[in-house]
Amino acid sequence: MDFLAEGVRRAWGLLIAGDSEVFGIALLTLKVAVVATVIACTVGLPLGYFLATRRFWGRRAALTVVNTALAFPTVVVGLLLYGMLSRRGPLGGLGWLYTWQAIVVGDVLLALPIAAALSAAAVQGVDPRVRRTAETLGAGPWRTAWTVAREARFALAAVITAAFGQVVAEVGAAMIVGGNIRGSTRTLTTAVALYTSQGDFGTALALGLVLVILALVINIALQVLQGRGNG
Amino acid sequence: MVELRAVRHRYAGRVVLDFDQFALPQAAAVAVVGHNGSGKSTLLRLLALLERPTEGSVLWNGTVVPRRPAASLRRRVTLVEQRPVLLRGTVRDNLVYGLEIRGFGRSAVNGIIGDVVDRLGLGPLLGRRRHELSEGEIQRVAVARALALRTDVLLLDEPASSADTAAAGALYRALAAERAARPFAVCIASHQLEDAYRWADDIRALADGRLSPVTPENLFRVELPAGDGMKHVHVGGIEIVLITERAGPAVLAIPPTDIFVSREPLASSARAWRSSGTARACTFGRKWGAWSLSPP
Repeated sequence: MDFLAEGVRRAWGLLIAGDSEVFGIALLTLKVAVVATVIACTVGLPLGYFLATRRFWGRRAALTVVNTALAFPTVVVGLLLYGMLSRRGPLGGLGWLYTWQAIVVGDVLLALPIAAALSAAAVQGVDPRVRRTAETLGAGPWRTAWTVAREARFALAAVITAAFGQVVAEVGAAMIVGGNIRGSTRTLTTAVALYTSQGDFGTALALGLVLVILALVINIALQVLQGRGNG
Repeated sequence: MVELRAVRHRYAGRVVLDFDQFALPQAAAVAVVGHNGSGKSTLLRLLALLERPTEGSVLWNGTVVPRRPAASLRRRVTLVEQRPVLLRGTVRDNLVYGLEIRGFGRSAVNGIIGDVVDRLGLGPLLGRRRHELSEGEIQRVAVARALALRTDVLLLDEPASSADTAAAGALYRALAAERAARPFAVCIASHQLEDAYRWADDIRALADGRLSPVTPENLFRVELPAGDGMKHVHVGGIEIVLITERAGPAVLAIPPTDIFVSREPLASSARAWRSSGTARACTFGRKWGAWSLSPP
């Protein structure tokens, strides 16, 4: 059990000292997570609203696809994306393999189904009369969607939190398409995996703590925003 | 103003509306009466341009309304649903919502809201949120929210269903005052015929999705002589005795929904209005009150 206590001591030391490598990894993780969450939610929330409110041929099939994609293994997504981005792949010309952009794309692919499926469920939970009322009062499609979103704000905030949680904790795809390159594509999760395998338990634990603190801060920030929008 | 032609509307394959024509002329007051599930709410949704009829067309001032009506056209009509909901925010936020969409300035918004608030007595409720209101108050706010928009067509689905007698009276008075100040077409769906024939120019009955007119001729209706005291009036072969306190002329009207024919002895409360005779013809449903009764 000594190694655990030693690990915590070392983690604390790294955090107090403001280790530049830990700081750099945390910053990259935050950048990737925020960009991926924003993209996934910008596409996923309207997609969820559309799936929840419009009646069209193939809607049920589309919902099934989105719900199935929720359980898609991250390494499989990483593998497929690797094939697409590798030099011989269809998107090889972008030169994104082993860059932070590749990690963002992988994270977006993983967070998009979460944003779409959960926001569809959130919108379906809103009293249908709210949408009809907005329409009878003259609201166009965008204003109606905004009105419905305001009614489902707590559920939608939870959707954003879940999407961020998926992205920030993701390791499989980030490892495959990012390559875990020091100072370039090493995120908190891939770094934890690496340091643990190298036996540097203290650094791994320190990075794990940073990850938890990051998630905590983002969640608190979202809760504060929810609280402000109360009523 | 707005007209439905050759409409056959289905939900999941079931025909819910089926009629040749329903018109709501400019500045007219039309009531649609019928039992729950007769298709009243669906009819109003078609008139509100919220739904398209499965078959048939919707016309606005004689022009066929396209599949996706322009926002400017949709904003000329509004509907208050039977169980309305208030949107998030205060009562005032709800009253402002549609006006903001229409681009009214702050002073115009304040003026319009002031008018409807006075008319419907909503002053004390302005700062409240939906969970702080009763069903009747929510209904009143929803009607005020619709009135504030000053649309050419106002559609109300059972607007007084959650109101007590006084609140319902206030609602109809507010509607009358608004129509006196600014002519607009209004169509009210109700299962209470007595409400409808009191204020509507035209009453249509809806049963199983089919329309039929209910004109005042279908009502038992008789002019009462002037003067107070006991009066004997004859409606067909039936004599009705009543006492009036007012000296001026008045009208006695009995809606057909209040008339029933029974072979069985009547309960004591109904006996006072009993008229015995032999029923020669009696048709209910599509033809309201088409019947004859021979006096004994």
